[in-house]
Amino acid sequence: MKAQKWFSVILSIVVVFSLLLPMAVAEEETIKIGGLAPLTGPYAVYGEAVKKGADLYVSQLNQNGGIDGKMVEILWEDHAANDAQAQNIYYQYVDEEEVVAILGDVLTGQCRIIAGCAFEDGVPMVTASGTALDINVGKPNVFRTCFIDEFQGVVMANFAQQQGYENVAILYGADSAYSMGLYNAFKAQAAINEINIVAEEAAAFTDIDFKAQLTNIKNADPDAVFLPWYGAEAALILTQAAELGLDVVYMGADGIADIVDKIANKELLTKMTYADHFAFDSDDEAVQNFIADFTAMHGEGPTVSFSATGYDAALVICQALINAEVEDYSDTEAVHEAIVAQIKGISAEGVSGVISFDENNNPIKSAFVMTFDAEGTKHFVAKVDPQ
Amino acid sequence: MTLLLNQLINGLQIGSIYALIALGYTMVYGIVKLINFAHGDIIMVGAYTALLVMTGLGLPFYVAIVLAMAVCIVFGVLIERVAYRPLRSSPRISSLITAIGVSYLLQNVAQLIFTPTPRPFPAVFSVKPLVIGELSISFITILTIAVSVALMILLQFVVRRTKVGKAMRAVSEDMGASQLMGISVDKTVSVTFAIGCALAAIGAVLYCVAYPRVQPTMGSLPGLKAFIAAVLGGIGILPGAMLGGFIMGIAESLTKGYISSQLADAVVYGILIVVLIFKPAGMLGKKTREKV
Repeated sequence: MKAQKWFSVILSIVVVFSLLLPMAVAEEETIKIGGLAPLTGPYAVYGEAVKKGADLYVSQLNQNGGIDGKMVEILWEDHAANDAQAQNIYYQYVDEEEVVAILGDVLTGQCRIIAGCAFEDGVPMVTASGTALDINVGKPNVFRTCFIDEFQGVVMANFAQQQGYENVAILYGADSAYSMGLYNAFKAQAAINEINIVAEEAAAFTDIDFKAQLTNIKNADPDAVFLPWYGAEAALILTQAAELGLDVVYMGADGIADIVDKIANKELLTKMTYADHFAFDSDDEAVQNFIADFTAMHGEGPTVSFSATGYDAALVICQALINAEVEDYSDTEAVHEAIVAQIKGISAEGVSGVISFDENNNPIKSAFVMTFDAEGTKHFVAKVDPQ
Repeated sequence: MTLLLNQLINGLQIGSIYALIALGYTMVYGIVKLINFAHGDIIMVGAYTALLVMTGLGLPFYVAIVLAMAVCIVFGVLIERVAYRPLRSSPRISSLITAIGVSYLLQNVAQLIFTPTPRPFPAVFSVKPLVIGELSISFITILTIAVSVALMILLQFVVRRTKVGKAMRAVSEDMGASQLMGISVDKTVSVTFAIGCALAAIGAVLYCVAYPRVQPTMGSLPGLKAFIAAVLGGIGILPGAMLGGFIMGIAESLTKGYISSQLADAVVYGILIVVLIFKPAGMLGKKTREKV
């Protein structure tokens, strides 16, 4: 009788502790990252892409035991691309949740605002999709895993060199920062690569007639034409160039990615190559594994390249934490400083390439040159490095 | 030399589309002294009709032209009946403002129905250009210029040689007197709007074949250019609209080709100002002396 009583006491103590123990561990040891993205509204597709990619990395990390046995969680609060709401969520993350870093934001507008806050507070921030140059200028704790607009001009000039194009013409939009940035970067790199720029023609984004400029370009007899435009304008340019009998190849940047829905004559797209952040049909093993895992987790494959950069953003933050060997997570300021220091020197194997950062916190990684088939499906051509 | 010829042909193509649209402005102005700013948006109506007929119903190109003309005629006559006719005797500024209102109405309704996202117009002809010596001209260019010139000749014939044309000329000269002579002014004005809109529909389809992008605001730019072409040639005068259209197109193309694309519009409007300083009634306009 006595022994039985003792036994039940011991048993109940064990049961109570075994119930309490994992809860206590989970309560204290979860590492929180603040995810900022529009998850409803017209830009939800980009927000969802980043979220799904980042969530995939974190779930893989947790399955492999997390960081030093601690689980990682990305908090996601929807701000529907609203500036004020994004800022509120940011402060909630930083002041109440004590996040180790911010993953996001997604659109340029909110990226600028959150980058300003994060810079003041010294919170490490990694955006997966803010491509505008000024987001992280002068902000040593703000990083991005997508490349900047100008970078693509350099990449395409290198691609032109690889392909052996000697004479290249440029038709650019003089009224757009995007187009001008690409044009200047391409031209500068072309000079380094000893590619002749045989014609430089300007037009405007409001134009619909490009024939006069294209006639001049045809007269200059180039091997290729660089088109730093969005899909809608590029569709008009390709059609009119074909009408004039301009039989060359065309190069563009990530703005071209949405051309498929904008052009009726898809055959013209077979002449087009452009730089993208990611290639879904690359034969790279990491890429194919990423797509398989993504599909397994979310029920459908990734469609926007920001899923890959989102995955890499989560990877960069977590890898920095692992490298920092943080023991005391209660001192958030020290954790923030350690993460920033580690990201600066990182060299991580991401799905969109090996990622390290230059002195301006922009990624040094390869771009994917893509083309289309006659049905408008995108195909991977080459991986091109900026150097 | 080849370059110059090619640029001239580029200019002729866009110029002939301006001319087709300008005819609508100039006819309506000649008869009811109204600058119909909604005319540009009729182009958009024609473009969407052709697009829906071809992609939605899968009907061939020539059916699309006929249906686009029919829909544009209905719109044009209806707009005149509802918006302009009740204001015919009110000050001219009232109908001008109404025209701007109709223009915005059409654009915004189109935006509601079709969303502002541009849609591609299906490829109708092979884009392979014909090569003549060193010149290469696309079939679309030849078709556009040929159709425009043929329509202008036809219109000239209608106005000069038919009974409807006679009525139109009479109404434009003196509305009151022609009514006394037994001409139905309302009917003549309706016919004028119908012809103008039919030409705009053809212009719209040719425009879409050359520049395959359809969107709700697509009519305002060619509409404005065509209006300027009409003023340049002498508003109210049919051959003036054609001449104005061709001059605009060629000036644009040559400026883009030889000077700078950003200056193209400046040069075109500069020509307009110079012409209006020396010939206030336009290139083919007659001097009218107002007796005080």
